[in-house]
Amino acid sequence: MKWIILALGIIFHLQTNAQPNCNLYKMENNQLCYEACILATHVRSAQGSRASQMQFDKAIELCPGLDYAYFEKAVPYLKRGDFIAWKKLIDKAVELNPNGHLGYRGWCRYQFLRDYRGAIKDFEKLDSLRDYDIGYSINGDYQLNIAKGLCYKALGEKSKAIKIIEEQLAKKDYAPMSYDYLHLGVLKMEMGDLEGGIKSLNKSIELHDYLAEPYYYLGLIYKEKKLEKEYKSNMEKAKAYYLKGYKRFDPYTQPMDKIFLAEIERELK
Amino acid sequence: MQEVKLMKQVILFCIAMAGLSACGQQPVNNAVYPDHVGDIYYDSMTDDPSFKICDENKVLQYYNFGNGLMYAGEKIKIEEHFKEGLKSTKREKETGFVTIRFIVNCEGKSGRFRIQGMDIEYKDKVFDRSLSDQLLNLTKHLDGWGIGQMNDKPSDYYQYLTFKIEDGNLIEIMP
Repeated sequence: MKWIILALGIIFHLQTNAQPNCNLYKMENNQLCYEACILATHVRSAQGSRASQMQFDKAIELCPGLDYAYFEKAVPYLKRGDFIAWKKLIDKAVELNPNGHLGYRGWCRYQFLRDYRGAIKDFEKLDSLRDYDIGYSINGDYQLNIAKGLCYKALGEKSKAIKIIEEQLAKKDYAPMSYDYLHLGVLKMEMGDLEGGIKSLNKSIELHDYLAEPYYYLGLIYKEKKLEKEYKSNMEKAKAYYLKGYKRFDPYTQPMDKIFLAEIERELK
Repeated sequence: MQEVKLMKQVILFCIAMAGLSACGQQPVNNAVYPDHVGDIYYDSMTDDPSFKICDENKVLQYYNFGNGLMYAGEKIKIEEHFKEGLKSTKREKETGFVTIRFIVNCEGKSGRFRIQGMDIEYKDKVFDRSLSDQLLNLTKHLDGWGIGQMNDKPSDYYQYLTFKIEDGNLIEIMP
């Protein structure tokens, strides 16, 4: 039983960038890595503070293979815009544990730098390492195949983006996330499939009616179809939702297909 | 008399050292890390001396307020500012990212600008001055920064803008 738990623990430990279970090192009689793991997972100082960064250094010194310490040490550089320092550290975490960190690195390349090619490369590499789901973005907003689709959209390969997103949505065990159908609807609208766009945007509203964006894009479609009443009513609803705070939001970056109040007001003039 | 004076100085020095020790001061490896990752200290050679920080010891990060990017008219205003102001610098090989990091003080004014260029492999890159100077000057002229509020008090914070550049053309602005 002990070995089953240990094996399951190791599998989990290797495949996630969540906090490691330090007891696994203890069970392996690896005292240095156990101590390093405790150090890296019990940082009391503020993220990015000197004390915090030095604690991760100490952990790395004790256990150079502790990918989690590199991963955590990298985070403040990412959030504060020092992408050169971030990349050096996160690359080390990926080198030590590709299965655990490729998805995260790819997502950050997409979210913080709009490095679409780099993100696709990471997602595809991760896919090649796994025969199961490639996981979700660290903020919990996207399954990573959907994020890959958005990367292809940004690179101008919109048909490919639609195909990837639809394939993910068609998977038997997949529960759609809050923004999947919004992006699919916008993509279809951009490809000239207005009916497909309406269907996906309405599906988005049906699943998650806390966003101004689907109404805004529905409004654009009705404008294209010269349906003045529907165009205006959707734009008004978009504005009302926006003012209530029902809109795409991320504390660090601006999500794709996010709209701004000025854009809605321009349509309502 | 000279001996007494010297003795006094030695005693004073010893008291001062003992005081420091009693205060628990430990040697700190300042050379490796600043107080916080990304801290920008005043540099008299480059920084505007009239730019004041409310609390030098407590400059937060833009994301600490939970409001995302704080700018009058939202990010679209920033994009318009650069779209209108940036003169074409189309040049092959000028591809990568330019990040400008700075402080927005408790009055919503910006200062202490620092610039970093990076290529698509995430390595240091020096961009053509005609491009980086324009980006820096346009950033300095952004005047709609929101004031950070923490515990109902105005607060200074760090902000950055990253410009994605392809062949000298501005493609996207982050965050």
